[in-house]
Amino acid sequence: METNYETIVIGGGVVGSGIAYHLSERYKEGVLVLDKKYPMSGTSGSTQAWVWVHNKTPSWYAEFSMYSAELYPYLSKKIGDVEYKRTGGLSPFFNESDREKAQKLAESYRKIGIKIKVLSREEVLEKEPYMNPEVAGATYSSIDGNVNPFRLIDMYMRAAKRNGVRYSAYNKVTEIKKQDGTYLVVSDKGAFKCKNLILAGGTWSREIGDMLGVKIPVNQLRGQILVSEPLKPFLNFTISGLRQANNGEVLMGYSMEEAGFNRATTLDVIQETANMAVRYVPGLRKAKIVRAFSGIRAMPEDGFPILGKVPGHESLYVAATHSGVTLSPLIGTLITELITEGETSIPIERYSLSRFG
Amino acid sequence: MDKTTIICRCEEISCEEVEEVISNGGRTFDDVKRITRCGMGPCQAKICTSMVAEIIHQQTGLSPSEIPLPRMRMPLSPIKLETLGTNSTSFSAVKSVLDEVEIEEGKVR
Repeated sequence: METNYETIVIGGGVVGSGIAYHLSERYKEGVLVLDKKYPMSGTSGSTQAWVWVHNKTPSWYAEFSMYSAELYPYLSKKIGDVEYKRTGGLSPFFNESDREKAQKLAESYRKIGIKIKVLSREEVLEKEPYMNPEVAGATYSSIDGNVNPFRLIDMYMRAAKRNGVRYSAYNKVTEIKKQDGTYLVVSDKGAFKCKNLILAGGTWSREIGDMLGVKIPVNQLRGQILVSEPLKPFLNFTISGLRQANNGEVLMGYSMEEAGFNRATTLDVIQETANMAVRYVPGLRKAKIVRAFSGIRAMPEDGFPILGKVPGHESLYVAATHSGVTLSPLIGTLITELITEGETSIPIERYSLSRFG
Repeated sequence: MDKTTIICRCEEISCEEVEEVISNGGRTFDDVKRITRCGMGPCQAKICTSMVAEIIHQQTGLSPSEIPLPRMRMPLSPIKLETLGTNSTSFSAVKSVLDEVEIEEGKVR
């Protein structure tokens, strides 16, 4: 296998593969993606994969997420059907007292041009007839939707490989050395040299950063999800907490726990999730659950993406974020611009690693 | 098994589709599952596990003991959602969107 590359991406998940694909569109120099297992064995393969804008705060982060959601229709034209559906997103609330908070959210978004509607009970039930009639209202945004994460990453990989990108799976990086203006990346299957190095290690960003003495403050957050048997199509929207996939399965979950890398599913959270699902959509009561799963999300210490050049290290880049599915088309585009042109079309200084001091 | 042999009956996945994942670098049942949906149906890999392991063994030379089993998860056999529920309306690990919106001095933070 070739050992010299212009650019190496560490991590082949939705962020790393998104970058590799976007790079390969306009960049003919060699690109190698290294993954410690097979792409999707971590966070990117254990998600409901909402493409979601509407509760991102502050509003500048919502705006950033919106730009990425806007890229999805074009992306699926380029790489193939990833089952992206802009269903619109619905977040129900059950206490009338939450309406004021919902209106404040809508107001803060209006200033940046994202339309969020606060719906009455009747409007919610008209849009989503299977919603619990006890609902008080909901926030609604038409930009939200979802995608099939497996199709997305598979298509990113296929398109990238067609454009010449090499992938090396089950190849854990064990050491990174800087020598004479190049990086030497030592892995289970040998050592590779590159000019540009992109760290897209997701939940493992901290330990990859440590290999270079760079602190990348990313923590782990567990989410547990239930999967139903395939049901007739009956949910119209991506509801914050559940969505129906193309094959009829309903995915349910909106939990957050600090559990390190422990991917267990636990009865208490499964029960809470069942309670949430039945509360939102009582008709699910009789639906059969075939599986529970959990995913470990990457969560930067302050919640916001870490993107761009690593200060003090020539040709070293980092992309570590929560909401990688929502943001991957935009992150891929911006990191490609940064590498090929030295600057980005949308400012990303706010997301620099330097903010952590 | 020939190319068109159905390996996963729930999701109708053929031998050829499983082989493609292995030739692209996949090594485990779960790699095959995520790319093809093999084993994601109602039976949750109870039927296809050993056949997929056999294909992985043939293509990679890994011995059966080196091929990890698929990850089994609750509830093992499909059960109704209401059986899992407890009718409680208080939540701790489960959130809602508005739970995550913080208001500071009358405005969204």
